[in-house]
Amino acid sequence: MFSWITKKNILAVVALPLLVIIAAGWFAFNNEAAPSNPLPDVVDFNQHIRPILSTNCYVCHGPDISTREAGLRLDLRDSATVILESGVAAVVPGDHEASELIRRVSTSNEDDRMPPAEVKKTLSEYEIGLLKRWIDQGAEWKNHWSFEPVTASVPPSVYKKKYIDNDIDRFIVNRLEEAGIKPASKASKESLIRRLSYVLTGLPPTPEGVDAFVNDRSPNAYEKLVDRLLDSPQFGERWARHWMDVVRYADTKGHEFDYPVVGAWQYRDYLIRAFNNDVPYDQLLKEHLAGDLIDEPRMHSEEGFNESLIGTAFFALGEGTHSPVDLVIDESERINNIIDVTSKTFQGLTVSCAKCHDHKFDPIPTADYYSWYGIIKSTRFGIHAANEDTHTKTQISDVESLNAQITQVVADQWENDLKEISTPARVQVDRELPALSQALAQYGDSTIAQPLGDFRGGSFGEWTTSGSAFGANPIAGDIQLNEQKEIVSLGVPRASSAGLSKKLIGSLRSPDFRIDHDYITIRAAGVKSVMRIVIDNFQLIRFPIYGGLEQEVDGEALRDYEFDVAMWKGHPAYIEFLPAWDRGENFFADDSSYIDIEYAYAHTEALKDIVLSTRQQVAQSVDSSAVHSALTRWKALEATSQDVDLLNGLLKGGLLSSAIPGLTPLVEEKQESINNIPDPSLIWGVVDGDGTDHPVFVRGNVQDPSEERVPRRALTIYNENQTPFEGKGSGRMAWASSMADASNPLTSRVMANRIWHHVFGRGLVETVDNFGVQGKMPTHPDLLDYLASRFVEQDWSVKALIRDMVLSQAFQRRVEASEESLERDPQNLLLQHYPTRRLEAEAIRDAMLSVSGRLNTTMYGEAIPVYLSPFMTGRGRPRESGPLDGDGRRSIYISLRRNFLPPMMLAFDMPIPFTTFGKRNTSTVPAQSLTLLNDPFVENQAEHWAKELISLKELDARERIEVMYNTAFSRSAKEEEITDGLAFLETQAATYGLDGGEWANDTRPWKDYCHALFNMKEFIHLI
Amino acid sequence: MTRREMLSLCRNGFGSLAFMGLAGASLASCKPGEQMMGEALGGIQAIPHYAPKAKSVIFLYMDGGVSQVDSFDPKPRLDREHGENPYDKFKVDNTQFNNIGKILKSHWSFKQYGECGMPVSELFPHIATCVDDLALVRSMVSQFPEHTNANYFLHTGIGIQGRPSMGAWVTYGLGTDNEDLPGYVVIDGGLTPPGGLDNFNSGFLPASYQGSVIRAADQPLANIKPLEETTERQMNKLALLNRMDQSLLGKVGEADLIESSIANYELAFRMQASVPEMADLSNETEATKKLYGFDSPSEHTRGYAAQCLLARRLVERGVRFIELTCPRVKADRWDQHSNLKQGHELNAFAVDQPIAGLIKDLKARGLFEQTLIVWAGEFGRTPFAQGVDGRDHNPSAFSIWLAGAGIKGGTIYGATDEYGYRVVENPRSIHDLHATMLHLLGVDHYKLTYHFGGRDIRLTDVHGHVIQEILA
Repeated sequence: MFSWITKKNILAVVALPLLVIIAAGWFAFNNEAAPSNPLPDVVDFNQHIRPILSTNCYVCHGPDISTREAGLRLDLRDSATVILESGVAAVVPGDHEASELIRRVSTSNEDDRMPPAEVKKTLSEYEIGLLKRWIDQGAEWKNHWSFEPVTASVPPSVYKKKYIDNDIDRFIVNRLEEAGIKPASKASKESLIRRLSYVLTGLPPTPEGVDAFVNDRSPNAYEKLVDRLLDSPQFGERWARHWMDVVRYADTKGHEFDYPVVGAWQYRDYLIRAFNNDVPYDQLLKEHLAGDLIDEPRMHSEEGFNESLIGTAFFALGEGTHSPVDLVIDESERINNIIDVTSKTFQGLTVSCAKCHDHKFDPIPTADYYSWYGIIKSTRFGIHAANEDTHTKTQISDVESLNAQITQVVADQWENDLKEISTPARVQVDRELPALSQALAQYGDSTIAQPLGDFRGGSFGEWTTSGSAFGANPIAGDIQLNEQKEIVSLGVPRASSAGLSKKLIGSLRSPDFRIDHDYITIRAAGVKSVMRIVIDNFQLIRFPIYGGLEQEVDGEALRDYEFDVAMWKGHPAYIEFLPAWDRGENFFADDSSYIDIEYAYAHTEALKDIVLSTRQQVAQSVDSSAVHSALTRWKALEATSQDVDLLNGLLKGGLLSSAIPGLTPLVEEKQESINNIPDPSLIWGVVDGDGTDHPVFVRGNVQDPSEERVPRRALTIYNENQTPFEGKGSGRMAWASSMADASNPLTSRVMANRIWHHVFGRGLVETVDNFGVQGKMPTHPDLLDYLASRFVEQDWSVKALIRDMVLSQAFQRRVEASEESLERDPQNLLLQHYPTRRLEAEAIRDAMLSVSGRLNTTMYGEAIPVYLSPFMTGRGRPRESGPLDGDGRRSIYISLRRNFLPPMMLAFDMPIPFTTFGKRNTSTVPAQSLTLLNDPFVENQAEHWAKELISLKELDARERIEVMYNTAFSRSAKEEEITDGLAFLETQAATYGLDGGEWANDTRPWKDYCHALFNMKEFIHLI
Repeated sequence: MTRREMLSLCRNGFGSLAFMGLAGASLASCKPGEQMMGEALGGIQAIPHYAPKAKSVIFLYMDGGVSQVDSFDPKPRLDREHGENPYDKFKVDNTQFNNIGKILKSHWSFKQYGECGMPVSELFPHIATCVDDLALVRSMVSQFPEHTNANYFLHTGIGIQGRPSMGAWVTYGLGTDNEDLPGYVVIDGGLTPPGGLDNFNSGFLPASYQGSVIRAADQPLANIKPLEETTERQMNKLALLNRMDQSLLGKVGEADLIESSIANYELAFRMQASVPEMADLSNETEATKKLYGFDSPSEHTRGYAAQCLLARRLVERGVRFIELTCPRVKADRWDQHSNLKQGHELNAFAVDQPIAGLIKDLKARGLFEQTLIVWAGEFGRTPFAQGVDGRDHNPSAFSIWLAGAGIKGGTIYGATDEYGYRVVENPRSIHDLHATMLHLLGVDHYKLTYHFGGRDIRLTDVHGHVIQEILA
């Protein structure tokens, strides 16, 4: 292949000017104009030229240095205009004849022609024409439009005011007027309410709702309807489902056994509430990426639990396998998915394309990918209580104050007891061994044994907690009672999740360390709890390979638990203690779950089976002043190990009372407070780990990390000199803020466009998840910027933006296309009319439930198990099938098991949850027709509906048909439709041997008719 | 212009293309001019790219991983060193269960068969009679020792969920020759592989290309059986529907959406007849049935025989890609972590005769030359025991064979070490297998692309070389 040869900087190059996008230069149809069409007067780089260069040239002459030929970049003016060795420049601004680029793309000499023959791409005459004109007009390069700041566009003035309901219409009508296309008129009220109901709530309107709206003659009738629907709880169910497509929502992790994503349904409920409460989008974004780090988290307005925390389940929604043989590769896949989904969802960028090499088309270097990689790798997955509320905080402080009162009552009694002690007394004391570091030192240096944590000294050290269970510090001397409320003993110093209440959830985690020894030993006790050694952030700890990294603790006596980790030497790890079981399929906890830990250490074979904690009974002589000081420290919650041992010795020797007057009512009061704490409901979110910069995996190969590490920072697309995030954690908050910032050019545009996509069925940028160079250009760039800035101005209110859009006349137009529109804009990009849309899978199923009268409007809660047809087999298949009709619940509540996705949803294009799908396919496959014709669910709904109709005894057949049309299509039946319906009923009745009046109250013909209506195209389309 | 827009244009101008994938048409048959195709599809030029050898593929999926040293790759050294410690012999990789036992000899003896003298173990006496038609590849390597990843890899070319299956790619590229049947059919033997139905999905390709799962049962395809007890009742409904839908057509802007939906009902209606007709084996002769093993004492053999016979019937009807999943024998799939002897014998007994029957039947009917048969699992098994009597997963070496269209029968290609543990000669990847399959279908794997997530994606990712050595 012939390459471009360049000479070094012979010509001074002109710096790339950053130009504001000028809307006038933009055309709706990109380069799709037929070759015979005239070239545009003004050729625009973004609109016309970049698509040509990007498609045909950038792979070898673009941002990625690894595949660049001859050092020529056509994405930068500097490089493209340099004089080449042959004495010419690829581009000579103002002179296409002197431009080598033009010669090379148009030459008939095969050896010379670009793109080279083997890539099988040839530029059309039209494209070459564009290139020539662009060069002649000065060859102006522009930054890619979406990386430029959002500019608040002024709505253009238009000629015909009658098409304008709000500013959005000015942008739309302006373009239609330019194209000489007359907008369609407004749709009928029946059609409007049906459209609006589906778009806002995903459900058809009730016949009563239709009636009320049609008969509401007030000028703001439509506006009132909009507000009513925006305020309805079903709004959140509809829009949460849209969002679930972009965050690859599923209830299970797929792969061999389809393990659950713990508490995924809590996140689904969180989304429904968030959309219903119109949580500002910048807040929603921050909660997704850093909800655990928000200083003042958002609390549920009634129940008081921490909403922000639940957003972080976003990270856990990806797939996961339980026994990858290479953990580093597995981790890289999981992080790649998070990077992919995060960048597409919030930025409309495909950052994961920069995993192995610099992005081929967008200015995203590989370093940016690994900068994000470091942020995510420095984040740990963690089990949270999804429902620990402000109310719980009150209970906790009640418990704390009752504990203090209890201690006081006991201390008073014991001070009294002291007076009885003849000094010095001799007591048997159970003596605890010295600090772990000392105990281990006798076996040799750190190559033999190394302490990892010792919680008997009143401090967690470098370990961190999440949730409230473990309290602020380890505990010592907590009062242990028997059933008669007598003191049995004082608790030894230890970390405990039960210091306040066994109902609380939380975790205690070590800092990151490297596994250097064959064994880890942990001294612990507990009930229904677990200790986990997490290596390479790998969470799905299961046999056969990884089962040994987790041990259940289910015994109330402290003992040593030994882990054989020889196989994992060299791996980064942390230890995690949880007062919950990770058993069978899920994490769960009840009000008996707790875990106590004294210490943890790593060691070699030399210390295998050695128990450090052999307590020694020593006879000790004590005087009352020693006891008094011990008691004083105990009262102040500062008891040392020796204090506790001493007091226990005295208690056991009968020198201190075990029955304390006045204790029982306090203990009972405390129990009452504890009873008021809700049972824990768990969710898999994230917590911060230790911030570590990550190297680049050269060419994506995990075995080949670069020497240098990439600082954790925001994308360099916004600013080439991003400063690294500060602080010792992952940097997630700063990361989230870089996107939630109003000046970020992508965040507001991408979300405004997603909303437009759902309201109008097609985004202004059609590639809703890709705003990069390979994405589509906006059809209405000014409008997009107008919406993006308005979105920010209105405090990132999703509802307000939707309201703006549906109040526009553009939304309210009829679906009929005019001749001009079909001819000049066959794809209806200019929105002459409202597009005909097929309903989404969920809306089709929900509509059937609604129409048949079977819809169960219960909101929230655990997923309804999916109905399992005989065709849904394989590993991880749930033991029992869910109900055929999903208990009448809306589709959003049906369990989405990755390996057992509902076939009806898939047939109607629900995406497979593996990456961001902001835009669904609309395919037409026989499975759809076969489902509607023959699926037992559809039959079931037809039958349900038929029975409802038959129960309307006072109505005759004709009137029932009217009811049916009102219910199913939100409009009156036309005379010929009624006649046809009656004829059908009669014919069908005859096949059942029914005649005359018999069939009117027989379910069978009615069921057939209901079934036929479900199958009508009008039923599954928005028109 | 993107593919989608091209489709949209096709729809506007040339009627109902939406069910192309099923209705006997590929993208290539959208004919508003070849020139537009070239421009529109970038990577996809006119397909097939060159004269195809195969019209259909039958993929015999050996779920769980057949042991190569017990089937097609004899290793006498295992007999000599039986019971010795593998760690003394070679570097042992971590296995999934990491319960490494001793070197384990094969329970089955090998004999040479045919003119080519290919050795086959006692497990496959029937397939052994067809060796002169097989090209055996002993040097396959996978990347994943775990079922799900390995299954996704084998089926979609990448080890995670969500990519289009090879059958979806093939139908996307070539369409099918039968308007009344889906282009990509999975004949379910009772065991959906780990990873679920997503092994057969269309990923980011339009849903039209996803595999349709059928069974040799009363209801061969989900929802194919009309609800109505009589055809008349369904016809009445459809007639009503058609009147209503036609009247809707005049009212909407984008009529194509509604049009294709209406056309789709016609297809679905025809499928209600064509699928059961295809699945009805009553017209097959007793001799044919016997050839496949319908008279076997084992219900699993009889079941797999029905699957194989269905496969032939699908080939006859022009279905492009057919995959058979394994029957549910007592010992689960080929995944013998313990009790290798019983498990492999049960599985082999179920599939051996039906597969040989299929090959012979296709040959007798002149269909063998236009049908590519691929026999493969997702990985192989270890030459040492797991525990005492099982074998663990081994992605470092396994054997597969191909037969039929364009395949050089009697070939033995590639080699493993003396233990059958690792490939030592001509290692071949799943990508190579995919490239070869596409090649035989007349498709250049470099050129079959789909633009998704910012790049042009291929079944073979950025890899893949056709295994020329096994081609006729």
